[in-house]
Amino acid sequence: MRGRAIKYERDNIDTDVIIPGAYLKVHDYDELGRHAMEGLDPRFRERAAAGGSIIVAGRNFGCGSSREHAPIALSRSGIRAVAALSFARIFYRNCVDGAFLLPVEIGGEAYAAISDGDELEIDTGAGTIAAAGKSYPTRPFSDIISRIIAAGGLFKAGLDG
Amino acid sequence: MIPVAAGRTLFEKVWDSHEVARRGAQSLLYVDRHMVHEVTSPQAFEGLREGGRRVRRPDLTVATADHNVPTGGGPLRVVDGDSAAQLEALERNCAEFGVELFGMGHPGRGIVHVIGPQLGLPLPGSTIVCGDSHTATQGAFGALAFGIGTSEVEHVLATQTVWMDRPAPLEVRVDGSLRRGPAVAAKDVILSVIRMIGTAGGAGTIVEYRGSAISGMSVEQRMTVCNMSIEAGSRAGLVAPDEKTVEYLRGKRYAPDDIDAAAAGWLSELRTDGSAKFAKSFRLDAGAVAPQVSWGTSPGMTCDVTDAVPAPEEYGAGDPAAEESARAALRYMGLEPGTPITDVRLDRVFIGSCTNARLEDLRDAAGMVEGRSVAPGVRAMVVPGSQEVKREAEAEGLGAAFEKAGFEWRESGCSMCLGMNPDVLSAGERCASTSNRNFEGRQGAGGRTHLVSPVTAAAAAVAGRFVDAREWV
Repeated sequence: MRGRAIKYERDNIDTDVIIPGAYLKVHDYDELGRHAMEGLDPRFRERAAAGGSIIVAGRNFGCGSSREHAPIALSRSGIRAVAALSFARIFYRNCVDGAFLLPVEIGGEAYAAISDGDELEIDTGAGTIAAAGKSYPTRPFSDIISRIIAAGGLFKAGLDG
Repeated sequence: MIPVAAGRTLFEKVWDSHEVARRGAQSLLYVDRHMVHEVTSPQAFEGLREGGRRVRRPDLTVATADHNVPTGGGPLRVVDGDSAAQLEALERNCAEFGVELFGMGHPGRGIVHVIGPQLGLPLPGSTIVCGDSHTATQGAFGALAFGIGTSEVEHVLATQTVWMDRPAPLEVRVDGSLRRGPAVAAKDVILSVIRMIGTAGGAGTIVEYRGSAISGMSVEQRMTVCNMSIEAGSRAGLVAPDEKTVEYLRGKRYAPDDIDAAAAGWLSELRTDGSAKFAKSFRLDAGAVAPQVSWGTSPGMTCDVTDAVPAPEEYGAGDPAAEESARAALRYMGLEPGTPITDVRLDRVFIGSCTNARLEDLRDAAGMVEGRSVAPGVRAMVVPGSQEVKREAEAEGLGAAFEKAGFEWRESGCSMCLGMNPDVLSAGERCASTSNRNFEGRQGAGGRTHLVSPVTAAAAAVAGRFVDAREWV
């Protein structure tokens, strides 16, 4: 997967800024996409529309509420992956369970090296993220998460039996 | 055969007894109780319908309406079309799939994490899940209680199980006794814990709260502590059951009829073995805990009520990212470093939420307002956690006491905690709130939230600014 980085040098980007509570009753996914990150970054839609498709951020991305609206809103605004130092569990699972976007855990070296606007390449097979001609390891997915990602969602992964 | 380790922590015992399969680090856990509300369930039920599946155990599933519910007086009317549609979808789904619903107009309705314990759903040693991050509240009973996402809700509805990677056990030991109760509350303990370990400090863990201060707490106080485990980055928090747990559950609708027989097992088995190892341990001296007030936009950005708003450099302590977070937080909150917290004036006060809207919370807050009145220019509301809490509080005269002091006494619901129903802050409004999150925009776009205990909130409503409630009791 290739895409341009939208970088926020912030920890604890929470689900209330990803999609505020006022929109939790909205079931039109495109409408959710129009309000993604609006509390944090008024220029987010513009940046996503201009080809930014990979958010890069610090620790504990997606902390807060269990709302699946958060990865849905990001996904519908054009985001295909989030590369962060760490994720809150429910957000992480929501990303892969609904096949909304790819959550990739990166290390401090990659986080420091990636600049806003960089062209990135995420290779889930090799377990790397590449920026400015240099490649960095990403944290491997667990067996179950790999299966969910490969299948395209929790209910396609055949884990029930 | 998997060899059994010599000593296990409480959560590991509950986990192991519910593990039905394992793949690598992931366990498939059996779910004893599943609670459902209107926000995170519509797509889950829709998924069942599309897949031609039924709810596997409707008898273990309970639903309520809380997030969208308007809390204004008189017969409740949902005027927001989207909210009404979400509430109607829940009614339709529960009827179609045979799930018991405490819906609009039902006397048992309330915030999902408040009615669960009132029904006796979170039993010691059980697993309980809900599509809501504050499910951790119910860990106060020695249950493994955690929040899940909507796809996981569908998975539980369909299979009564959930895949989870095994967390590590984290110990938070709070010894000593709280000074000047009720002015120093369980809320101040958990805010102090989060301040100490950080909002990601519990990542990948389940916290067990232990120590003499936790044993000394009521079950409702333990719920306040467990409630905010998620704000410390943990997936859940729990407290070993004791006699208080048993007495709380006695006679509750879903508690065992012969609770003494059940209690014998709970009290002998459901505790951390002496030889068990925690991955990490933190200690807090309860005697040193002061009333807490959050000054920023993360639950870890908290100080004592007697402190001043910190400078970003002070908060960052050499970490540029933390320093920048504090700078952004102060901008959003409209606060200057060095301002004494007791000089911060308020527009609104909210006493409510799954953190602090149970009967004891309301008693503590009401104790502060007796013979006093809400300050001019402050709008203060009290929102009971459930209709049952409301009835009990009214029977004790608490509702009347709040109204006499100038508070709005409302119907139960999530209300101002999360800005998705009519109870919201306007941009720039500053609120003392007993809820759990002070994120930007949480209580309404541009709203400024200060997290506090019910007693500190009640005193702030009277003074129109933050005050050290220890001086009032």
